[in-house]
Amino acid sequence: MPIFWLTFRQLIGAKRTMLLASAALLPVLLALVFRSGGDQEPAHWTAQTLLAQFVVGTMLPLAALVFGTAALGSEIDDGTAVYLLSKPIPRAAILLPKLAAAVLLTAGFVLVATIVSGAIAAWGSTDGAAVLVGFSVAVVTGAVVYCALFMLLSVMTTRAFIAGLIYVFIWEGVVTRLFTGTRIFSVRQYTLGVADGVASVGNDVFKSDLSAASAVLMMVLVGVGATLLAIRRLRRFEIGETA
Amino acid sequence: MSEAPATSSIYDLGYRRYDGVRLGRRHAVAALYTHSLRTAFGLGRPATAKIVPIGLAVLTLLPALIALGVAAIASDVEIYSANGYYGYVEVILALFVAAMAPELVGRDQRQRTLTLYFSRSLLRVDYAVGKVAALTSAMLLLTLVPQALLFLGRAFAWNDFWGYTQDNWQDIPAIVGSGLLLSLTMSSLAIALACYTKRRAFATGGIIAYFVISTGVSAIVANTASGIVRKLSLLPSGFHLLRGFTLWMFDVTPTLDAQGNSNGPAGDLVVAGLDFYWYAVAAGVAIAGALYIIYRRYQTVAA
Repeated sequence: MPIFWLTFRQLIGAKRTMLLASAALLPVLLALVFRSGGDQEPAHWTAQTLLAQFVVGTMLPLAALVFGTAALGSEIDDGTAVYLLSKPIPRAAILLPKLAAAVLLTAGFVLVATIVSGAIAAWGSTDGAAVLVGFSVAVVTGAVVYCALFMLLSVMTTRAFIAGLIYVFIWEGVVTRLFTGTRIFSVRQYTLGVADGVASVGNDVFKSDLSAASAVLMMVLVGVGATLLAIRRLRRFEIGETA
Repeated sequence: MSEAPATSSIYDLGYRRYDGVRLGRRHAVAALYTHSLRTAFGLGRPATAKIVPIGLAVLTLLPALIALGVAAIASDVEIYSANGYYGYVEVILALFVAAMAPELVGRDQRQRTLTLYFSRSLLRVDYAVGKVAALTSAMLLLTLVPQALLFLGRAFAWNDFWGYTQDNWQDIPAIVGSGLLLSLTMSSLAIALACYTKRRAFATGGIIAYFVISTGVSAIVANTASGIVRKLSLLPSGFHLLRGFTLWMFDVTPTLDAQGNSNGPAGDLVVAGLDFYWYAVAAGVAIAGALYIIYRRYQTVAA
């Protein structure tokens, strides 16, 4: 538990948190623009454009990348990881609280942005509430998987941030659009699959490319797999090792 | 320092003054430029520093190579037009400047080598100019080499090399012009963001966040809002700006899908309805602003 709060304070005290907090206002701004002049069906716009495209497609991976790679990675960069790793604490008990702190902050930011902006944009439409619930559950599960993945990157390489960016914007952004079969390896698609499964709204409102069952299965596999690998890598982490 | 007397030879450490030719400021700028250009591709640095820049450079070639492979089999199929090429590689180009701009300007601040630079004949403004020029040149390689490959390859795949060149020569100024403006815009914006922090991760994240978030927000606003907001909505967006002036230089108007909706960044530009030359103007303003910010930073940065 002390490690959890330590990481929590490290992450929330930094300048980047303020920047992310202001980025969380952007979806709200978009929702206000939509209310003032958009002519599309509110629930459809909220699900497809605001939440799927912007919140899940951009904000969630960026927030997870910032917190997921910083939770352990910035300690390794600064050299303070030595003080944690040289103590007789199981490495799993170091990694898991750090992961939990990263997930909590990522999910917190994105969830607030989802609920506030979604409520503004979809106010008064019949499917609005279902969409909102679906995406709220989805962004939390998505945050867990993304953070686990980025934490694994941060114990594998000191350039975790750029590696994560390449994964998010080249792989999830470009490759999965060109080669649709690779969707099964995209956390964004898992998140959208969960959103569709929980919301269970008509296909004219929102339809994910991946079925909810395979999305959940892959989420569990990738999330647990990445966490276990990260723990394994941290167990073998040599103190003083920087690369 | 005057010649030490012979009696104190025990203190003579053999220090020698440099009495060769002093090459001066111009040579210093040229050396900084060459060194930075090499750094932009990880040359002269360990193999791990080469992976990201060389890998991204190869990725920008990939669509051109695919197009040539297709052209070799069926010469009349054109999968990418020259004006749409940056649309395929813009994310890679953004990642390149995001990865390499902090490498070029952050390292000197982190390891305090700026002091060494500024104690020589190099002026502060020279340093800024050298760095921006180096990153712009690196970007030119990443934009113009694939375009040249695409153009030449297509001309060779055509039955008549000179016939193809004659039919398409008017694309060449547009290719070079858009490549230049794109390289200068992305490089100066990236360095303007990167020169304010020592930390590589923050600079990289900031540059990518700018491109991705501004593009996402602008695309949504362009397709949602109306009136003047819609018209101006794409100007702050990095990728739309690049696409807008590229289309203007090639004098192409993209088409919308069957329902009259936008089908991507090019479609967004049509939906927004602002004349494309405004994007070139906006790029000019952005470059000027970025260069001024860089200039200010290097006038005041603690060396």
